[in-house]
Amino acid sequence: MIAVRPSSLSSLQLVALASAALVLLPLIYITTLALSADPAVWSRLWTTRVPELLWNTISLACAVVLLALVLGVSTAWIVTRCEFPGRRLWEVALVLPLAMPTFVLAYVFNYLLGFGGPVEALWQMLAGPQARIFSPQSFLGVTVVMGLATFPFIYLLTRSALLNFNVSFEEIARTCGASPLRRIISVTLPLLRPSIVAGVALVILYVVSDFGAVSLLRYQTLTYAVFQQMTGQLDNQAASILSVLLVILALLFLVTERWFRRKSRFYQTAGRYRAPQRIRCNWLQTVGLTASLAMILGAAFGVPVCLLILWSLSPEALVILDARFFGFVWNSAVLATLAATAGVLIGLPLAYLASRKPTWLNTGCLQAAYAGYVLPGPVAALAVLVLCLNLIPVVYGTVLVLIIAYVLHFLPAGLQSLEPAIQQITPNLEEVARTLGLSARETVRQVTLPLIRNGIIVAWVLIFLQTMKELPATLLLRPVGFDTLAIRVWLEASEEYYQLAAPSALLIVLVGLPALGLLLSRDWRAA
Amino acid sequence: MNTPAQTRPSTTDQCHARTHLFSPAAPILELRSISCAYDSSRPAVRDMSFSVREGEILCLLGPSGCGKTTVLRAIAGFEPVRSGEVLLSGRVVSSPSETVPTEHRRIGMVFQEYALFPHLRVTDNIAFGLNHLPQAERRRRVDEMLCLTGLEGFERRFPHELSGGQQQRVALSRALVQNPVLLLMDEPFSNLDPDMASRMRQEVHALLRQMKTTSIMVTHDHDEAFAMADRIAVLNQGVLEQMDSPELIYHLPATRFVADFVGQADFIAGQIHQGLVHTEIGTFPNTINASEGDHVAVMIRPDDVHLLPNKSADPRIVARQFRGSENLYRVQLPSGQIVHSSESSTSVYQEGTSVELRVSATHTVLFQAETPPRP
Repeated sequence: MIAVRPSSLSSLQLVALASAALVLLPLIYITTLALSADPAVWSRLWTTRVPELLWNTISLACAVVLLALVLGVSTAWIVTRCEFPGRRLWEVALVLPLAMPTFVLAYVFNYLLGFGGPVEALWQMLAGPQARIFSPQSFLGVTVVMGLATFPFIYLLTRSALLNFNVSFEEIARTCGASPLRRIISVTLPLLRPSIVAGVALVILYVVSDFGAVSLLRYQTLTYAVFQQMTGQLDNQAASILSVLLVILALLFLVTERWFRRKSRFYQTAGRYRAPQRIRCNWLQTVGLTASLAMILGAAFGVPVCLLILWSLSPEALVILDARFFGFVWNSAVLATLAATAGVLIGLPLAYLASRKPTWLNTGCLQAAYAGYVLPGPVAALAVLVLCLNLIPVVYGTVLVLIIAYVLHFLPAGLQSLEPAIQQITPNLEEVARTLGLSARETVRQVTLPLIRNGIIVAWVLIFLQTMKELPATLLLRPVGFDTLAIRVWLEASEEYYQLAAPSALLIVLVGLPALGLLLSRDWRAA
Repeated sequence: MNTPAQTRPSTTDQCHARTHLFSPAAPILELRSISCAYDSSRPAVRDMSFSVREGEILCLLGPSGCGKTTVLRAIAGFEPVRSGEVLLSGRVVSSPSETVPTEHRRIGMVFQEYALFPHLRVTDNIAFGLNHLPQAERRRRVDEMLCLTGLEGFERRFPHELSGGQQQRVALSRALVQNPVLLLMDEPFSNLDPDMASRMRQEVHALLRQMKTTSIMVTHDHDEAFAMADRIAVLNQGVLEQMDSPELIYHLPATRFVADFVGQADFIAGQIHQGLVHTEIGTFPNTINASEGDHVAVMIRPDDVHLLPNKSADPRIVARQFRGSENLYRVQLPSGQIVHSSESSTSVYQEGTSVELRVSATHTVLFQAETPPRP
């Protein structure tokens, strides 16, 4: 028995090492590519593109964070601290925008706010025929779209922090004579800070790595520039330099967030649970709250979905619902299934080893797998592309390259549900199985796997749905003529064929809804 | 409290002497038949009235779910009252029609888990309620408080860098530094280990005496209540069962519930015969004027019963529990009735020993048989 254990573990270890290598090699490769570049290329980029791109990216991230903070914190506050008819409905509905990929939201807003669009028409009726509103293809437009797409991250984290908030802190502040405003500013908000900061970090990573919205709204960010360098200039070296900058930027944000969280890791705000006393609203307040929530949610989800349905039912759209369309659906489904399965198979040994045998090698492999977290889609694509071109050129232009890029990109998302699932099972359960005469292999099959089944399912579904929505890596790496739903939306929307893009976009949104259910069931600790 | 009218021997007068120390003072807090309810069908507190005198330490004692914390929260203004009134320094602060917000009540509060602001240092935690004072005055008050609670040297620490006892001192300082009219403490010692808890009890008791702070403390631990309180209010299912000095609560409980809750008690069945209560273990005076032939129960505390080994006696020892300072014996009478007896630490008898019981109660507490009487 003892002789079996080391050998079975070491084969698992080999798998884990291979997975870590799969993730790290492309990364190392583009870094060396960037560093080995001619200094002239660096200085050319540094003097021409980089300052503008950095400024665009950082200013956009800051503006979106501000907007998302205002929307997310205020809506979370309203649904947890006010009591009014429909509160529970809003509480659930406010996460719906997460089902909306940014490129879908961007394309709808391109129409809504665009030249001669409905919002402008409305505005001209009010303010005269010459009145103009801001263009969607501007800093302000991108900020609005990204803010509406990302505020649910902050909403979710703030809401759950508020629900678990120990009301004693506020009560103590009251016995100290603090006014309601002082209680919010000097007690509640500081104690919510860790959750809010975590939400802000998510939003920043999302904005920095977004490709869909910025490409459709023609706003130059680092991520978009990497894509353009690869497609337009076909300059992989310049692209890899920009990629390295991008990764450093994302890492900087992440490190800042970790630092914040370290500082406040002792905030034990949860405690003896007592439901917060909700403010009972009179009818006037109810109308006000409902109207503002309806406006936010309408802009982020309601109006876009209604438009998509309307467009899908138009004759132009109905015509394209033919065999070709179902071919795209099939392509999307196959790709997503392959990526999800591969992701789970690669993620499982990593998470298992790091939890059961936390040597520096095993935890190192796991941490390496999380590197994909700071890789925007185009960068992941670039990394896989340059590596494959040099090492195994035969796979170039096949589905395999795509799958590798997806796994690299979405492994962290899968690991985030696999890891806690494995950690929740005490090793005692496995040890007890061994004392009852099961071999290591049988133990895994009969004890471990059934217990982490839910974690595996969640991980699989999350990777599946992320892949369905994935745009830049698919655009860059797909075999010729191999279109998916997301690609169709992007291609049609780029040409402003709103009706033609609608059926694919609607399908993506609908498929995304169950994922929300999964996400919520994981951390929806309802009152 | 009409049913069991007790005899009041000399101990009772001693008990009263302690409360008389504070008696001329006006009530700081008065509850006038208040009721509170989370849902109206099942009120958490029903028709409760009591008052607290200046400088007094009152303990609200009862099992979990008896409504003691609800009373505390109603006094603090966190819970509205359904009926009745709460008066603080002679002013109505809670009534069904209006509730003065907590921040205008000048109340200090210490929670079970202390609720120290984790983002503020010790000094800032303590100074939190002194916002209205000038900087220098604030500093002086905080320093004074740090000195009183022995927290000098910990000013710059964060709450997580303090031990449980220190955290509690900070919580107490934060409440006391504002010179509250009334200090409320919700199970303040239950998060400490037993050793630390008993040390903190003495410290807090001395501090409250020194500052002459009127205090109300909630606890489920009768030892804690006995150690801290000038008076104890025993609560059960939202109703005040008895409010008296600790000594009276222990020796002359008004109800069977109180008798049982504040310490070990056995209830021996008896019958009135010729003006005396006849039981298996002897006769007792009829202190509740029960009529001839009535069935009653006599409350016996373990320290009232003394054991003498006697081979011809019927009662038998069925168990012995060694408690360090005493031995608690479980004795079975021929009828099956169980009586407990507390013997000195060195008196060790084997299980099964036949013993004779000597009951030497200085006061007899009788209850009507069957259902426990309600005051």
